[in-house]
Amino acid sequence: MVAFTKHIAREWRFMLRQRYVLILLVCAFILSSFAVFTGVSEVSSQRQTIERLKLADETDRLEAQAKYDDPGSLAYYTFHLSYSEPSNLAFAALGERDTYPWKHRIRMLALEGQIYESDAQNAELAQAGKIDFTFVIAALSPLLLILLFHDLSANERTSGRHDLLVTTAKMKIHLWGARIVVRLLAVFLCLLLPFYVAAFISDTAWSSIALVSLWCFAYFIFWTLISVYVGRKSSSAPRVASALIAIWVLFVFILPILGDLAIKQAVHSPKGGDILMVQREAVNAAWDLPVETTMDAFVAKHPKYANYKKEHEGFNWGWYYAFQQVGDQTAANLSQAYADASQRKYDFAAYVAMLSPPMLLQRKMTRLANSDAIAAFQYEKEIRSFHAELREFYYPWLFLENDFDKAVLSDLPNFNNNENQHKKQNKVDTNER
Amino acid sequence: MSNQTKASLSISPVLSVAKDEWRYWFRSKLAMSVLLIGVLLTLSSVVVTGINMIELAHERAAMQNSSEDTFMDQPDRHPHRMVHYGHYAFRTPAPLSMLDPGVDAYTGNSIFLEGHRQNSAMFAEQKQSTGLTKMGNLSPAFILQVLAPLMLILIGYSAITRERESQTLAFLLAQGTSMFTLLTGKGLALFSIVILIMLPVAIAGLFAIVQGESTLVVLYFLFTYTLYLLTWTLAILLCSTLLAKNSESFTALSFIWILLCIAMPRIASTSASVVVPVAGKLETDFAVLADLRKLGDGHNANDPAFNKLKQSLFDKYEVDKVEDLPINFRGAVASASEEELSKVLNRFAEKRMEEELAQTETARLFGWLSPQIAVRSLSMLTAGSSIETHHRFLRETETLRLDFVQALNKTHIEQLNYIDDINRNNGEEGWAKARVSAENWKIIEGFKFTTDSPAVRIERGFSSLIQLLFWSVMLALLLSLASKNLARRASF
Repeated sequence: MVAFTKHIAREWRFMLRQRYVLILLVCAFILSSFAVFTGVSEVSSQRQTIERLKLADETDRLEAQAKYDDPGSLAYYTFHLSYSEPSNLAFAALGERDTYPWKHRIRMLALEGQIYESDAQNAELAQAGKIDFTFVIAALSPLLLILLFHDLSANERTSGRHDLLVTTAKMKIHLWGARIVVRLLAVFLCLLLPFYVAAFISDTAWSSIALVSLWCFAYFIFWTLISVYVGRKSSSAPRVASALIAIWVLFVFILPILGDLAIKQAVHSPKGGDILMVQREAVNAAWDLPVETTMDAFVAKHPKYANYKKEHEGFNWGWYYAFQQVGDQTAANLSQAYADASQRKYDFAAYVAMLSPPMLLQRKMTRLANSDAIAAFQYEKEIRSFHAELREFYYPWLFLENDFDKAVLSDLPNFNNNENQHKKQNKVDTNER
Repeated sequence: MSNQTKASLSISPVLSVAKDEWRYWFRSKLAMSVLLIGVLLTLSSVVVTGINMIELAHERAAMQNSSEDTFMDQPDRHPHRMVHYGHYAFRTPAPLSMLDPGVDAYTGNSIFLEGHRQNSAMFAEQKQSTGLTKMGNLSPAFILQVLAPLMLILIGYSAITRERESQTLAFLLAQGTSMFTLLTGKGLALFSIVILIMLPVAIAGLFAIVQGESTLVVLYFLFTYTLYLLTWTLAILLCSTLLAKNSESFTALSFIWILLCIAMPRIASTSASVVVPVAGKLETDFAVLADLRKLGDGHNANDPAFNKLKQSLFDKYEVDKVEDLPINFRGAVASASEEELSKVLNRFAEKRMEEELAQTETARLFGWLSPQIAVRSLSMLTAGSSIETHHRFLRETETLRLDFVQALNKTHIEQLNYIDDINRNNGEEGWAKARVSAENWKIIEGFKFTTDSPAVRIERGFSSLIQLLFWSVMLALLLSLASKNLARRASF
């Protein structure tokens, strides 16, 4: 063991003298720092945006509430903010938060017409992709490891030292083992130090930090083993590296792309536009239908309001909100099929990820950071249940009670209130996966 | 290179160097498999993306037509009901988007147009994706921008170092082959690979011409990619000339590729979003709402905000009651308030688009740091699949929206009696009376989104072209310096 430590110390000094290894390590450190730093800034700007939105939303709602007195107008003119806050690990895995919306303002009208509104970010930037810690680890670190490990034996062979080294070293493991351990350790430090600093600042849970470290470590070992294995006999370093980079291209691009094509062929989904069309037709047609038709469809799903107050002439808010809801009900199957298709596509991708370690790591990281498509689906469900709470709040006043007292507005459901409960739910989800 | 001496005198020395390089590649399993995979990959990406985009184009055109038909098939109604019934517009992809789909999957492709609101484009395809194409996609653009340089590196990294390692370089130079001839010959050989990779793309280009794209644009598009790959050819020759060993040249080139093609594009977009933050639509909507409240609600003709309008109409028609106006006052209010509202909405929308464009242009500046970014911008701009085209789609659909809403408001003003209108909620009869004939829904004109004119697209990509030219000229200069230097050292 003492001998091995001596080897380690020697190899460490040797490594520090190799300019090209140092350049690679410094670049790795800079890239990782950049990714982590911009990740932290992105997350903090998302948090600030949410805070600003909460404030503006509150002001706006109070203004609207001051202006109107009847429950119908109040429900029509007040918007409600919903949002999905970035987790404490999101800085390391920004995930799908640049494609899926994480903030909405909804009101009590038909939800299908509102929920697909997306406040997306710059499409051209999203197309290029952003750099985050997950990308640095999943895509860039293998290349770094390939460049560091492919020529372990080839280099010594070409410079004629290989046989000498092998015969003088007591055990092969001492020579190559020490060199591998030293370089692996250096890579690990350069890539993960920035992460640890940011994780500390961001108050990331210890368990998450430990898990990320473990995954990264296993991932590095995987690529190191492949690199050493492919390069074990060859004397041509470029040939080894070519083969390794080909494997990388296969894992990072080819397999995922083929998997994507296959999944797109296999999973059929209704077109998003059709949901809107169906919902719009239903809502618009209702104006020309007898009030009873709409109310019957509404009561079928909401038996509590079977004894709704009948107002004879003219426009009435209860009927209006009933046909909004019936519009949603009509589109419900389509909408469910659309959501299911999205979910199924993401689930099928898990099998593809089994074949592609970079994809697997990315999925694991974004799941842990709650920034993947599943988190986005979950957020959509939260909006739906919040919308349902809103309706439950107003319905009695619209259909049953007569004397609306504005004081009850203080009991208006708030998306914020649900937060803790949702957080718990997310945790359960994470554990299950 | 050993059989260089056998080269017949009748063919030029440059060609014979190129021929020898090819002979070497034919014997190399690595070079042949890379070439084969490269051409197959490009070919399949061209076919798959081509079919996909053509299908999308048909699908969207069909949906556009059916949306127009549904609108016109609506029964007699109150005209304002049609304002809320709304209309759809679809963005048909540009012909060249089968080579570079650009932002197509990242922005919504359809937009719901209705009164009083500017909706955003919805249902971006990326939102229903598997998440597997986050790192790369199968578009020819991606293959050419990212993978083709890697293939060239794998094939060409040892162009000069090989001659140095096997000591044939000094021999060749002593024999009278100049360093320039050698580099040109090797460059020509690598360039022939570029041509091979570009071939399937060129065929797709022909197809785009058939689809209605201008020949000039297609040629320009192919030229820019050829120039980009030529830049990489120069970089490969440069590294191979500067460095002494095959392994060094390979490591240096792959490292450069990782930085320029994999890391830099993402660094560019991340930096741009940090340096030029753009507030989300949701946030600017608060400001819009605040401004809109000042305008008054167009549904409520009694809103004091419309007193001025009322007075001016009274003066114009010399009456003093809305009932006496020869036109429907409620329609006039709806029309006037829509006009004002669109102004406010457009002001904010324009500001947002400007900000987004500034952000994109910041990212494009990174083309000075990576030719991949230069060619990526240039490609999207030329194909008409960049953010500018999407912005124009948003502007055109806004015009379409305002036109049909105002046409309906005009019907409201001229064809619906004011008394019928205010009595619309008085029972079944009032409800039935307050409507106009379905003939009035024929106002919808066919909407077809087309690509910008060739001149506009080429002009937009000008600065990216300069970046790309800068890269190729700089590398050519460096290569000529390095080659002189090497020739001096290698000859005895």
